[in-house]
Amino acid sequence: MNTDKHRFKTAILRHETILLCVVILEWIYFNSVGLRFGSLDNTFDIMRHSVEIGLLALAMTPIILTAGIDLSVGSLLGLCAILFGKFWRDAHMPIPLAAACTIGIGALAGGLNAVLITWLRLPPLIVTLGTFSLFRGLAEAITRGVDTFTNFPASFLFLGQERWLGIPAQVPIFVAAAIGIWLLVHRTTFGRSFRAIGFAPEGTRYAGIPVERRLAMAYVLAGIVAAVAAIIYTSRLGQAKADAGTGYELFAITAVVLGGTSIFGGVGTVHGTLLGVAAIAVLNNGLVHARQPREVAGMLTGLLLILALTSSTIPKMLASLRERRQTPVTKPITT
Amino acid sequence: MNKILSVLLLACLAIVSGCGKSEPGSSSNAGGSKITIALMPKSKGNAYFISCKKGADKAAKELGVDLVFDGPTDPDPAKQNEIIENWITLGVNAIAVACENREGISTALRKAKAKGIKIITYDADAMTDARDFFVNQATPEGIGFALMDEAARLCGNEGEFAIITASLTAANMIEWQKYIEARRADKYPNMKMVALRPCDDLKDKAQSEATALLSANANLKCIMAICSPAVPGAAEAVKQAGKTGKVKVLGLGLPNENKRYVHDGVTDSVILWNTEDLGYLTIFAANALAKGSLKAGNKTIKAGTLGEFQIEGDSILLGKPFTFNKDNIDKFDF
Repeated sequence: MNTDKHRFKTAILRHETILLCVVILEWIYFNSVGLRFGSLDNTFDIMRHSVEIGLLALAMTPIILTAGIDLSVGSLLGLCAILFGKFWRDAHMPIPLAAACTIGIGALAGGLNAVLITWLRLPPLIVTLGTFSLFRGLAEAITRGVDTFTNFPASFLFLGQERWLGIPAQVPIFVAAAIGIWLLVHRTTFGRSFRAIGFAPEGTRYAGIPVERRLAMAYVLAGIVAAVAAIIYTSRLGQAKADAGTGYELFAITAVVLGGTSIFGGVGTVHGTLLGVAAIAVLNNGLVHARQPREVAGMLTGLLLILALTSSTIPKMLASLRERRQTPVTKPITT
Repeated sequence: MNKILSVLLLACLAIVSGCGKSEPGSSSNAGGSKITIALMPKSKGNAYFISCKKGADKAAKELGVDLVFDGPTDPDPAKQNEIIENWITLGVNAIAVACENREGISTALRKAKAKGIKIITYDADAMTDARDFFVNQATPEGIGFALMDEAARLCGNEGEFAIITASLTAANMIEWQKYIEARRADKYPNMKMVALRPCDDLKDKAQSEATALLSANANLKCIMAICSPAVPGAAEAVKQAGKTGKVKVLGLGLPNENKRYVHDGVTDSVILWNTEDLGYLTIFAANALAKGSLKAGNKTIKAGTLGEFQIEGDSILLGKPFTFNKDNIDKFDF
């Protein structure tokens, strides 16, 4: 058991080390073919463009660790973006208050997911597939699909478009969120219970951990983070429209899984997710600088993901194959 | 396990790097003296924009400029902004873009403009302060006049016609109707509009409206459909009523969805603009802007084999709409 655990730990470590190598090699390669790829401006571009998806991926990590999933975060980003616009433009709230209310809405929406999943014991996939349509539908209904919120004050646009102390203004928020979620997942007993739930929910319950409350917490957190991402997104684009964040849930899940978190729960790390986000972001940006068509980025991301997934199941398959090779020896004896 | 993992990921890397190497020297142009123009469609797979690109490629070849074509492949409204920002860092000379989100993309375009990159919009404009020129594919006047002229030609300058529109309240439709009526009153007093029906931008509804029009107006000579789903809708109604040739169909639409009816002789003319010319003119304008020969206040611009185009304020006019008919419709695929 102990050696098994040890081997597992080193394997995880390897996954992340390899992913880190992938990111570094991507960097070196694109830097050699693209004239301005390695410039500071471009590095900041990459960061700026990956903050929203990065935030969603960070919040998705604890959820997937519990063997759950949240498909509604992209739609919630859209809903929060237009509600933020509505609070500010139609309810004449000052920006900070509008932002606070938006985050409240995000928490409520995450709470709705949590209630359905923990009280009614419905599968997260089904629940969040429902809220995926519900949140987007609400956003479209409120704006009737055409109302666009724009002309935000420059002081608010600063957050998404300008630099603060030399770095893109939204990056410190992302760094804070990353550190916070990393500490939560890896340094608190609270966060460790996410992995325990993913491994064995019943066992965790017998161990006296309030499984439902922990699960609910993860989904509420995702709602809050989606709201924060919505505010940053609105500021970066200077507009809020009902289609904001379309498809972001899949990018986030891709980053998490690429980062080594098992979709079956129990295994995974926050720094792995960060590397997953970086691997995809650098690839997407680098291909532009290498003058490669955008479709290649999607293809290579898919390929990377499939390889990451198979790399964890192939050893298992090989192991079972080895077992099967041993069974014919025992079989003739029993018959 | 670790070995397999590393082998797989290394294989992946080999593919990543292999992809880039297939086009040697492709990255050396951005910093050189050659002008680089970046062209962005609303979405990359859209046949309409692929047709624009055909014209743009031709222009780029004639001018000897480097053309970068990229755009969103998914419906994420932030993608256009991200690509623009990438192009700013890449250091292109001019950007030509068909805007999906007027306000949203203007943020990125203003940033590019501040860095000295020349901005052209085509097909769909940005906020006026975010770009230098807009290549306007069709003015409401041009569309209205072309529709009325074509209807009069098909009817022999006299008789009854009916219009099927998207909705009675859509601003662009009302604008077009205004010019259709102005042209009729001015040039074709013997033409008479007997009905104006909305179809809610639905082909099915357009078809039932057209069927009703046909039975209610025995002398109807022509149906003019001014929103794109209504053109095949009206054609289907005329065909099913057995009035092919007796009642002419024309309208504002896309060649592909009308090809069948045009070849069957149901629909006579489909009016739009020449998308290849739109792409061609856009690149010529972007090039002239980057070279400094196109400046605010210019009244005309020369675009290669297409000749001279008028400039009104800050919009470059593509000019008269283009009529697709039996003879030329197969040359277009969008």
